[in-house]
Amino acid sequence: MIELQGLTKKYGDFTAVDGLDLTIQTGEFFGLLGPNGAGKTTTISMLSTVLLPTAGEIRIDGKKLDRKASAEKRKLSVITQEYSMRQDMTMDEVMEYQGRLYYMPKKEIREKSAQLLEFAGLDQFRHRVVRHLSGGMKRKLMICRALMTEPEILLLDEPTAGMDAISRRQMWNLLRQLHGQGITILLTTHYIDEAQSLCERVALIDHGKLDIVDTPDHLIDGLGAFAVDETAGDTLQSRYFHEREEAIRYLTAAENASLRNTTLEDVFVERIGRRIDQK
Amino acid sequence: MGILAVLWEKWREFRRDFYKITLAAVITPLMYLIVFGLGIQTTSHGEPYLNFLIPGIVSLSTMTGSFSAVAQNMSVQRLYEKALDQVMVSPTPLWQFILGQVIGGSLRGMYSGGMILLLTLPIRTGLIFNGWSVLIMFLNGTVFATLALVLSFLAKSYTDAPRYTAYIITPMSFLCNTFFSTEQMPMGIRQVVAALPLSQTSDMIRSISAGLGFNSRGIVILLLYLAAFSLISVVFIYKKKNL
Repeated sequence: MIELQGLTKKYGDFTAVDGLDLTIQTGEFFGLLGPNGAGKTTTISMLSTVLLPTAGEIRIDGKKLDRKASAEKRKLSVITQEYSMRQDMTMDEVMEYQGRLYYMPKKEIREKSAQLLEFAGLDQFRHRVVRHLSGGMKRKLMICRALMTEPEILLLDEPTAGMDAISRRQMWNLLRQLHGQGITILLTTHYIDEAQSLCERVALIDHGKLDIVDTPDHLIDGLGAFAVDETAGDTLQSRYFHEREEAIRYLTAAENASLRNTTLEDVFVERIGRRIDQK
Repeated sequence: MGILAVLWEKWREFRRDFYKITLAAVITPLMYLIVFGLGIQTTSHGEPYLNFLIPGIVSLSTMTGSFSAVAQNMSVQRLYEKALDQVMVSPTPLWQFILGQVIGGSLRGMYSGGMILLLTLPIRTGLIFNGWSVLIMFLNGTVFATLALVLSFLAKSYTDAPRYTAYIITPMSFLCNTFFSTEQMPMGIRQVVAALPLSQTSDMIRSISAGLGFNSRGIVILLLYLAAFSLISVVFIYKKKNL
């Protein structure tokens, strides 16, 4: 279980994360959503202890997580937004370094590394230096590296950023598989459809503050499960309805309108987007 | 042991860049030896100037070798590649990471110093280098590797590493008992420069090479520097808010 208690990160006068309280249950697939600069990456960086909180704390299975907490860190693996690895290492070396940092025996490192690189379709590139890999390959390598140590908790910061549609779907399937194995997953993403498809619960954050936490279905129901999109000139406006009949009644009276199911993106736009527009 | 993981990483880098590292380690010191030792042939205290210069160049190479091995690598890892994140989140205790960097950096410094000794062998100077010289070279390397760690934690950009070399390492190379004795400096400045780690190292290695033994006060001074820089780097890696 991951607990964030009053987690705060300040840079001078700027507050990147503002008193975040969250509990992520063991085995849960949890999404952290927010616009650019909402504090998602800062939160992940505090979970990976690269950044230390200004106030508040993080607990992993009830124990405080800090830079000395080796036993708690052993449970974590992080896939950062940036390709955080030695650019002059080959894929094999990246995997070996990870294994060594986690005290894995050499034989196990070799076997696990071969197995994961093959699984990711990277085995024929294992002697290639990271610098010479494509973005997608680097991303896959980071996943292999994170899985090398069989983590209990996987932290993913924008794992599909820059990926094509096919690679994104492959990644989704992989994450579902991992979740099926009981791994707790905390995912930050810009792609709201990704969160809706994968996450059991999501938290919306804005300006470092928690807006709401719930399941995607509850959030959608809260707004209204049916959306009518109305085009007026260059602008598209959506209206939300709890009952289908109500939506159809509105639709028949409106011009240039269409009916569809409400998505998590609508919730995001309504809750966060409106606030940004008002500012 | 996390130390072994770091040493493995350093060994991998050394093996891969062996020729580049070797060339970089010998080229500047070799130029100093050729220009000041062989080109401008002179004497110092009745001895060939080369006998004064070689121990200084060995000390200097140990310093630059260990400093650059850590400063450049760590700055790039921390600020450009973000590869330090991999270490931070791993269960490897961070003091072991520091220790691995220091030992690895010092061994690189010793390699640079050793290369100079090897290159000057044919000159037959009669200078003595023994186990104590090796120990002092290693200690000197650890001092500058920890200094490099401290500075790389302070760096705001990965281009800061060459700046630190220009501000700290280059002045020390020329002033700290390498090319001329600190005794020739004016009062006040002399005491300050003589207390710097490279001055102490050069003094001890030079004294051993002349068969005179060495003053153990130099070892104490190097250990004090090592303790201070180690403490600062450990505090940084555990307590610095934004790494």
